[in-house]
Amino acid sequence: MRKGYMKFVFLLPAVVWVLIFTIYPLIDSLRLSFFTYRLGMGVGEFVGFQNFIDLFKSPDYWNAFRVMLIYVCVAVPVEMALGLGFAWVFARELKGKAVFRTIFTSPLFTTGVAVGYLGVTMFHETGGPINYFLSFFGTQVPWLSTGFWATVAILLLDIWRWTPFAFIILLAAIQSVPEEMYEAASLDTASEFQIFRYITFPSILPAFTIALLLRLIEAFKQFGLVFSLTEGGPGRTTEIYCVLNYRTSIKYFDFGHGSAMAFLLLLIVMIVVVQFFGRMRKIYE
Amino acid sequence: MKQKEGSIKRVFIWIIIIAGTLWMLFPFYWAVSNSIKPKIETFNPGSLFPYINFQPSLWAWDKVFTQGDPIKPLINSAVVSTATTAIVLVIGTMAAYALARYRWNIIKSKDLTVWFLSQRVLPPVVVLIPFFIIMMKLHLLDTWRGLVLVYVTFNLPFGVVIMREMFRDIPVELEEAALIDGASDWQAFTRVSLPLAVNGLIATAIIVFAFAWNEALFALTLTSAKAGTMPVYILSARSTRGVLFNVASVNTLLAIAPPVLLALTIQRYLVRGLTFGAVKE
Repeated sequence: MRKGYMKFVFLLPAVVWVLIFTIYPLIDSLRLSFFTYRLGMGVGEFVGFQNFIDLFKSPDYWNAFRVMLIYVCVAVPVEMALGLGFAWVFARELKGKAVFRTIFTSPLFTTGVAVGYLGVTMFHETGGPINYFLSFFGTQVPWLSTGFWATVAILLLDIWRWTPFAFIILLAAIQSVPEEMYEAASLDTASEFQIFRYITFPSILPAFTIALLLRLIEAFKQFGLVFSLTEGGPGRTTEIYCVLNYRTSIKYFDFGHGSAMAFLLLLIVMIVVVQFFGRMRKIYE
Repeated sequence: MKQKEGSIKRVFIWIIIIAGTLWMLFPFYWAVSNSIKPKIETFNPGSLFPYINFQPSLWAWDKVFTQGDPIKPLINSAVVSTATTAIVLVIGTMAAYALARYRWNIIKSKDLTVWFLSQRVLPPVVVLIPFFIIMMKLHLLDTWRGLVLVYVTFNLPFGVVIMREMFRDIPVELEEAALIDGASDWQAFTRVSLPLAVNGLIATAIIVFAFAWNEALFALTLTSAKAGTMPVYILSARSTRGVLFNVASVNTLLAIAPPVLLALTIQRYLVRGLTFGAVKE
């Protein structure tokens, strides 16, 4: 470990950048959440917690909150479970494993709004391939014209896009479990499920936790895919939190309520992330 | 896991692998096959295979490039993403090096790192309005510079945390030898450590590039006709052209090809990058 003033020269630009461009907007946003403020009319009067109270009374707010909650509580567990399943399948000697791994990684880097746009064609009720496939089983699904099925469509696309995230992380974790861990187990003829339950899973738990945390953080930010697939519709049935927040702030230029809504989201994310904090700190020892 | 596996299980495993592969590839295939469908086949969902079900045609590609003009948004996306990546790499690498190699007394290196990391937790929508107001006042709405400024802010913490991990992997002895031979700190950094970290840096660069390329919320808020990136272009194409399948497919392919193809080249550092260095391969 070296000493000397050079460390400040190296570190300073990054610290200054982050301080200026996150701390200032954060404080400004907090301030605005206590004012009435519409674009063109300037900062209005101080209203205390009125913006927050308005939100709590607004059915649209609770609807957006509910849509986000459903999305997070369904998409994230399914993606983690599927990712874990595929990781388990691939964690053995296979022909062409590198190729399959690459294929299983590619959805992760696709553009959210483009995937949503492609989704509009895939879930198209008369011309789309999914209803075409279902027609062989004698059923048709009104994908984007009912709230329930539009939510399912969002979830299906999201699961396609994010399962790879859990998959590659958990695959790397399973593959780095030392061989000796298994040798002891196979002596007493443990079943494959028991080996997974008592050896593999506990060994990859740290990686699993990290993947879950990072996925959760991203899930609360969901915007692009939903915005381009359903635009929050039909009606407001899929208007997820960030879509409503974006509309309030930038379409209606209601900066006061927009800031208040954004801060409530920050609060929700903080409550979730704090559960993981101790573990995160240990990793960067 | 080296266990003897029965043939029934082997078959079962391969069924899962093939089903999973088809699932992963289908949306890509759908986009490609639609992009070369002639106009009359557009809404015929059974028409899946070129040459078998339909005669491929470049009609949709032609239409997109003559009417929609994706060239400008492609250039905007490329410029903004590249500039973001370059700035993150320069500033971020320096900070990462300082955190990996120096003794920090008052605030520990670990805590500084977690502080950087915590910026990533912040939902971007929280700073959406302040940035909009700042850009409006500075006349940076609908410019490359405005968007780059925001993207660097969001990606810098990622760059610092992941590159710190990469520097920590490089043996410190090499640098110590250079320092004893009279190299300055700056030389030890640029001549010894940086060349050894180059693979990690390339992986980091590609991930940052993809993040910037795919970002929609700020692109939509801060840019429009002049500096609008691919997500802005996609959304406007969606609302003006409706769902003409083959045109939508061409646009989708133009948007997703650069980040996806670049990301396929990352091998070793992908997992470390995506987990902020927390999971090693």
